[in-house]
Amino acid sequence: MNDMVAEQPWLWAGLGAYFVATLLAMWGVSPRHSGDDAETSHRHQRWVLAFIVLGVLLLTVAIGARWVRIGHGPWINLFELLMSQMWSLGLVFAALYWRLPGLRPSAVVVLPVMWVLGSWVLTLEPAVSHFPATYYNVWKWSHVGLGKIFLALLLTGVGLAGVLILRRTQRGQVWFRAMPSDAVIDKLAWRLMMLALVFDSFMLIAGAVWAQDAWGRYWAWDSLETSAFLTWLFLAIGLHVRLSYKVPPWVSGTIIIGIFAMAFSTYFGTPYLSPSAHKGVV
Amino acid sequence: MFSWFRLLASLKLTLVGMVLLGGGAALSYNNPVDVSVWVLVLPLSLLAVNLTAAIITNPRINRQIGLLVFHVCLLATVLLAGVGRMTHLDAHLEITNGQGFTPDLLLDVRKGPWHTGSLKKVAFVQGDFTVDYSAGLKRNLTHSMVYLPENGRMREQDVGDDRPLVLERYRFYTTHNKGFSPVLTWVPDQGATVTGRINMPSYPLFDYKQSNQWTPPGSRQEIKFWLQLNTGLSVGDAWVLDARNSSGVLVVTIDGLRVELEKGESVRLPDGQLRYDDLTSWMGYRVFYDPTLQWLFWVTIAGVLGLMHFFWKKLNLVPWMDEATSASVLPAEKLAGAPEKQGSKGQAV
Repeated sequence: MNDMVAEQPWLWAGLGAYFVATLLAMWGVSPRHSGDDAETSHRHQRWVLAFIVLGVLLLTVAIGARWVRIGHGPWINLFELLMSQMWSLGLVFAALYWRLPGLRPSAVVVLPVMWVLGSWVLTLEPAVSHFPATYYNVWKWSHVGLGKIFLALLLTGVGLAGVLILRRTQRGQVWFRAMPSDAVIDKLAWRLMMLALVFDSFMLIAGAVWAQDAWGRYWAWDSLETSAFLTWLFLAIGLHVRLSYKVPPWVSGTIIIGIFAMAFSTYFGTPYLSPSAHKGVV
Repeated sequence: MFSWFRLLASLKLTLVGMVLLGGGAALSYNNPVDVSVWVLVLPLSLLAVNLTAAIITNPRINRQIGLLVFHVCLLATVLLAGVGRMTHLDAHLEITNGQGFTPDLLLDVRKGPWHTGSLKKVAFVQGDFTVDYSAGLKRNLTHSMVYLPENGRMREQDVGDDRPLVLERYRFYTTHNKGFSPVLTWVPDQGATVTGRINMPSYPLFDYKQSNQWTPPGSRQEIKFWLQLNTGLSVGDAWVLDARNSSGVLVVTIDGLRVELEKGESVRLPDGQLRYDDLTSWMGYRVFYDPTLQWLFWVTIAGVLGLMHFFWKKLNLVPWMDEATSASVLPAEKLAGAPEKQGSKGQAV
């Protein structure tokens, strides 16, 4: 490991705050409190929200410190991409957690998924990345911003999908006893999916405009474009399956997790595994 | 007739089309040469027919303005993309400093059968260019100056990277492909004097093999050229590629004879005299033409706005979490609202 760089203490502190939020969320659904006042008062939820917001603030400082250190935003390598995704996922989930009280217990599914990213970023070197000429394009901001909202909506949907699947177990039923019925959760999850489709579509349009400016073509079926299109298509297929068939809640949850898995590989796998040129670096 | 439309509008057919399209997209990954474009065209055609029928017959689509706009725009996007491929032009261009653009300079031209652009009206003259490099030879900004005729004068324009030159809807993008061109004059023993340029391979990508060959008119012997460049390139430092700050010795080899020429020097060869006049540069452009680009942009934006409108209306009509199906633990004020009616087969979102 290299010497510590400016963003690392803030990154660790931010991840620490997310970790505390995860523990508090788990404590909140713990069966030890069944029938207890603590369960219906939802007092722990304020602390969960507070620690997610604290994590977001600390990650904001981490991103800012890195920006100052290397001279550009978190656009290029996996370390900075994961860091900025941790930030945006936390920000959007905090907003939804605040506005939609019914989904709050699903934080015990959402926050551990974020911790997969958190653990991953800790294994990476905070190496300085090269800022390609094509990244000066202003469409980058809308493409990346819309993509962040899209992924956060999917992740929140995954939280609800996890609830639908875990509720098939006795332990799951105890954990999520304070949540609405499966039908309500299922509907909410698919509304998030639909909203995700809107942001995914806007992201693809913004990306196509950027690609046209940067590489002289708006679509070329490169690895990332193919993967992003398949994610959009999976989402559309999921919505149409739900319109065509009566889908049991656990199947519905599995479909949502499948869509998220595709999106996850698009964001964190394809651009770093494929040798083809959709990183703007060439 | 209408029952046929209903059959074609089936949601299950939509799913079949989408799965086929997914397969086609996966097969098209990285544009393999051995995969036909039909793996995309066929499922898209099936979906277009299915969508047209659905727009006509399905009240869930044609009675909700947002969904109607979204699906019509989706159909229009597919059609526009198709028209775009039929009318497009893709090509490469290598143009030297001081040279005017003419259509016959285009290389690797691929165009659709309906291409009818006004390429002959495109006029510009290539100027100097600079390319900034960071330490480690990492390419940064390109500034390529072009001169455009305008009201009897030449207007200068800086293009490069994500700032293409757009003329008559043809878009000229600078590429990493650029290099040096020795300007040579050939004075044959018999015949007219010829002056021209020889483009050396891309620089600095092929820094190690700046060579080319040429057979002068009226001669049967091929001349081999090797350019020994001095550009100030230092891999460990930031550097600017600029032909105006570069020089080069031209090594001429023919039939066992090897001569090094400085700028302005000549050499006597078996069939004539060769003079190395100057060292200039060439820039490689990608040329792209698609008249549907702006239409595609606005149609897709309108489509997603339609989807947003549908979604927004739904949000206002039905609460996100209704109490009728709730497990009753949530605070009552968060659960107000009526449950949404669901279809007999599928489920509403």
